[in-house]
Amino acid sequence: MDSSTSVALEPLLSFLAFSLSKLESGFYRIPGSAVVARYVKSSHQNDPGRTILELILVIFAIRTLLQSRTRTDRSGKHFIKFSEKEIDELVDEWAPEPLVQPLSEWEQKDLSSVPVIAGPNGPKPKLLATGKVVTNLASFNFAGLAGNEKVKERALETLQKYGLGSCGPPGFYGTIDVHLDLERDIAEFLGTEASILYSQGFSTISSVIPAFCKRGDIIVADRSVNFAIQKGILISRSTVRWYDHNDLKSLEDTLISVEKERKKRKGPLTRRFIITEGIFERDGEMVDLPKLVELKLKYKYRLILDESVSFGTMGRTGRGLTELYNVPASQIDMLVGSVANGLCSAGGFCAGSAIVVDHQRINGTSFVFSASMPALLATSGSEAITFLRNNPSVLLNLQDNIRAIRAVLEKTEGITLLGHRASPIIHFCLRTQQQSLSVTQPTYDYEAEERILQDIVDDAIANGVLLTRAKHLHGQEMVESRPTIRIAATAALTRKEVEKAAGVVKASVTRILSKRR
Amino acid sequence: MALNPPSRSPSIFKKKKSFSQLSSMTTAASYLSAVHQADTRARSHDNSSISSTPALSLSSSVTASSEDTVLNEDDESNCLSYPFTPPTSEQVFTTVHMEFGHCANEAYRCVSKHDYTKPVEEHTIEEPPYYILLTTYISYLILLCFGHMRDFFGKRFTKSYFTHLMPHDGYAPLNSDFDSFYTRRLKRRMDDCFSQPVTGVAGRTIVILDRYSTDNNHTQIFTGGKTRALNISSYNYLGFAQARGGCADAVEESIRRYGVSTCGTRLESGSSELHASAEALVARFVGMEDALISSMGFATNSTFIPALVGKGSLVISDELNHASIRVGVRHSNVQVRMFKHNDMSSLESLLREVISQGQPKTHRPWKKILVIVEGLYSMEGTLVNLPRIVELKQKYKFFLFVDEAHSIGALGPHGRGVTDYFNIPPRSIDVLMGTFTKSFGAAGGYIAGPKVLIDALRLRGHSGPYAEAMAPPVLTQVVSSMVSIMGVAPSSQSTKSALALSPAASIDTLKDGAEELPGMAPASMLPTWMNLHPTLADGSEARMRIRRLAFNSRYLHQGLKKLGFITYGHPFSPIVPLLIFNPGKMSMFSRMMRSRSTPIVVVVVAYPATPLVASRVRFCVSAAHTKEDIDMVLRACDEVGGILDLKHGLGERWGIEEVCKRAVELVHSV
Repeated sequence: MDSSTSVALEPLLSFLAFSLSKLESGFYRIPGSAVVARYVKSSHQNDPGRTILELILVIFAIRTLLQSRTRTDRSGKHFIKFSEKEIDELVDEWAPEPLVQPLSEWEQKDLSSVPVIAGPNGPKPKLLATGKVVTNLASFNFAGLAGNEKVKERALETLQKYGLGSCGPPGFYGTIDVHLDLERDIAEFLGTEASILYSQGFSTISSVIPAFCKRGDIIVADRSVNFAIQKGILISRSTVRWYDHNDLKSLEDTLISVEKERKKRKGPLTRRFIITEGIFERDGEMVDLPKLVELKLKYKYRLILDESVSFGTMGRTGRGLTELYNVPASQIDMLVGSVANGLCSAGGFCAGSAIVVDHQRINGTSFVFSASMPALLATSGSEAITFLRNNPSVLLNLQDNIRAIRAVLEKTEGITLLGHRASPIIHFCLRTQQQSLSVTQPTYDYEAEERILQDIVDDAIANGVLLTRAKHLHGQEMVESRPTIRIAATAALTRKEVEKAAGVVKASVTRILSKRR
Repeated sequence: MALNPPSRSPSIFKKKKSFSQLSSMTTAASYLSAVHQADTRARSHDNSSISSTPALSLSSSVTASSEDTVLNEDDESNCLSYPFTPPTSEQVFTTVHMEFGHCANEAYRCVSKHDYTKPVEEHTIEEPPYYILLTTYISYLILLCFGHMRDFFGKRFTKSYFTHLMPHDGYAPLNSDFDSFYTRRLKRRMDDCFSQPVTGVAGRTIVILDRYSTDNNHTQIFTGGKTRALNISSYNYLGFAQARGGCADAVEESIRRYGVSTCGTRLESGSSELHASAEALVARFVGMEDALISSMGFATNSTFIPALVGKGSLVISDELNHASIRVGVRHSNVQVRMFKHNDMSSLESLLREVISQGQPKTHRPWKKILVIVEGLYSMEGTLVNLPRIVELKQKYKFFLFVDEAHSIGALGPHGRGVTDYFNIPPRSIDVLMGTFTKSFGAAGGYIAGPKVLIDALRLRGHSGPYAEAMAPPVLTQVVSSMVSIMGVAPSSQSTKSALALSPAASIDTLKDGAEELPGMAPASMLPTWMNLHPTLADGSEARMRIRRLAFNSRYLHQGLKKLGFITYGHPFSPIVPLLIFNPGKMSMFSRMMRSRSTPIVVVVVAYPATPLVASRVRFCVSAAHTKEDIDMVLRACDEVGGILDLKHGLGERWGIEEVCKRAVELVHSV
């Protein structure tokens, strides 16, 4: 070694030695550093290879930590590097599709055939297009609360005290005492510990589901649940198993197979949910609640039950399926219902234990991030509950009317009535050639049937009965259901009026179907 | 709210009152201050004389008895109940001072309009001193440590509190203790600052239900008492949250006529004529061809965005977009990319990247790109850089969706939102979305755009077939408040204006001369039964509201700055966030404001709604506030902020008295 270089390096080396000793003393001054040093020393003595391994691990950890912050698609192997000029050219070349596809001719017709009501809606509304008064078999006015004077009176009183809008989400001064009142009224009505109010019926369950079901949880759901539930399940990112529509045998099989799989994988205990509807919006089928609750308790699942149709319509006073089947509502973990449908106001609710409800006050997306509902709609809901409590006879009328409608339509040629015989919504579809519905894959032309049904609807409206097809987002639903016409029974009409209206529907069906042949 | 006496015929196009009138008013005010003092003394002695004071002359429909009930409900006679300056005999106020403050001083008005001589300001974030950041991190660390310790011991010794967090009877825990840690251990400590139940109108003042907790906020006990507080928290930008006045009268009439529900979804026989007329009106208001209305603001985004984009499309979203937009995007199963909040260069570079790269893996070109931004961001108070985005849109051919939830009504010289503020033709944007909850004092939301688009959304959006239609009273509130902002065109013009509804013509009317407001509502668009008060019908009242809001926003913003606070957001934004940083100070701030002799309720927000270190209090200014109310807020902030050591802003500082005195100068100085 040349002496001159060692001389030249000397100050550098001494500086290094100095700073090293400085670092060392500084390190030892940190409390607890001696422990670390001892650990490193001893582990190095025992096994020098381990030190290298640990060093690599630390470096790897730091690298992944840094990487996760700055990871972009740029680093991916699919990233192609372009020059600025090339990008400009690509930008120029790019021609996007239009934002929406314009409506097809049929969709145009569909949209323009939507009835618009002039004045208040109710059992006998006036149509804007014709100016004619029609009998309403389409709107959700099950208990006949539309236009109820007491509800109106209460709404007016509320308006004079609270104004209209709440001007804020529930967390930030948007919780008005009338919301708390309605929540308490619903909970007391159903017999649950608590309930929480959402400001739109449709957005309720699609927010309730992701509040509880997370990635890795298991959802067992009916194949034909309504669109809101489908969206909620999609957002939850849970593992979903579907069982056959309203088939509790199939449900049990699914529950057993889920349990088997879990045992096989020896996976941890995850949250498990059964999600179904009380009365299915899609076809009016009714779930066998006692059996469902039995299964849920046996296999230790939590039950999310959507009673959007059955709340306010079923049972002696409209408490829904729990009242009908005499099942305590507290056995249903999350009971979701609609204030808009059953109580003729607006919004939705989820009833359950205090813990379930409180959890949603922070985790229910459409509760937290949305303004609370206008005060007068909340008091209208409360007033509607009082009405149901005091007038159990209306639901008897409703059942009478349902029977009357079904009696007439069952005798009608060419259509098949769907759903449970007590369901307040009555769907009917066209009868297939095979004459049986048990065929798993009935062959039918979706759009052609829709057109025929629309003709029936138009004909019925022309003859003084307001009907509607059950509208679905064709192509977006998980399971395409057959096109149907949906009748919503109401207690506000007398049996005679209902029979007459059903007779008109029957005549329209016969007329249109005979024209086709 | 100063209005001309009804006897004088109001002129529609008279925008500004002359300043000579103003000077006479101030002298009148000073003259009357002595009268005012005598008056307050009399009031405190004799409650029955209240109903007869001119300060509270209400709209014609209100009977004297209901007036008494309103007033007697709160006994305290703090300065919230009566105006600082009593009105002169010339001034007739049609509002209740507690709902919508009386402010006749025409100097306290301002026009919110973009100054094109200056470039659009970039959003600058003022940093606090390092010790603040450090103590903030340390306080979170302490909170975390204590939280984990309490969890550790709690799970072993007080199991009853943890049953829902632990597996039991073969059920997995309802929610994991990790997920709920933040809620249980950090938020619960200050739960008294959130979800405060209220009663009455969320107007200028609000009545809170007193409550306390004896078990560390696990349960809240109501004392039964009520406290009236100054409300600087509700989204009541234009002050339409009123139980008295023209809009409430119209709603009352509509309940009598239509009931409270239309009993169904829009496509399944729940459509009313009111929906149709309200939609036409909204379209005209925002300057688009067509519009649709949805019964919930949140659902407007979450149910209609999926109908706009699908597989093969890309959504580019601002990182601070509202939860409803995120939910909507997740419902629609598309690719999403985010860009840095309001950073146009970040947006541009992202656009260049995604267009050149195409879809992931396949490199096929995107079917379409939808950029979703908000007009006014609810947590930051920042305004979107719309001129730049529209420029970028020309070049990169993306579709633009602007969520005007907070900006509609609140910004622009005519209250038409960001497009109006920047004077950009609304139709250069593809989809305009907004809500009625905020400026209009109603509920629900709208989407406006070309007719082809809106028709498709009516049929293909989730709301049409599945969600309940908007209730008639809500629709009426929307129509009446919106019409009052637009002004009703005199009947002679109505035929011409109706013609202007056709797409080609209405753009022209939007830019017709300086005097004519964009898109007045032709009388034919109103329901025939709706009789609006002349001051509502000619738009003069709403014009006053818009100008008062602009003044108040700007004043609070500039005032806080001059006092030395760190604030975010655009000076015209009615949302004024004041940075607090330390989590402990946040609850202190809220409690101290609430327990003042004149209570003020504020909204405090922290992580996860904001970055961890940027906890803040968010003021929402309203047109209902008077200048004195803003003074009061500033005074309170000055005191509380001094105690809590919040004044870390740079720049020139003024004393509180100087700020209050030079308010007008301050507002016009920016």
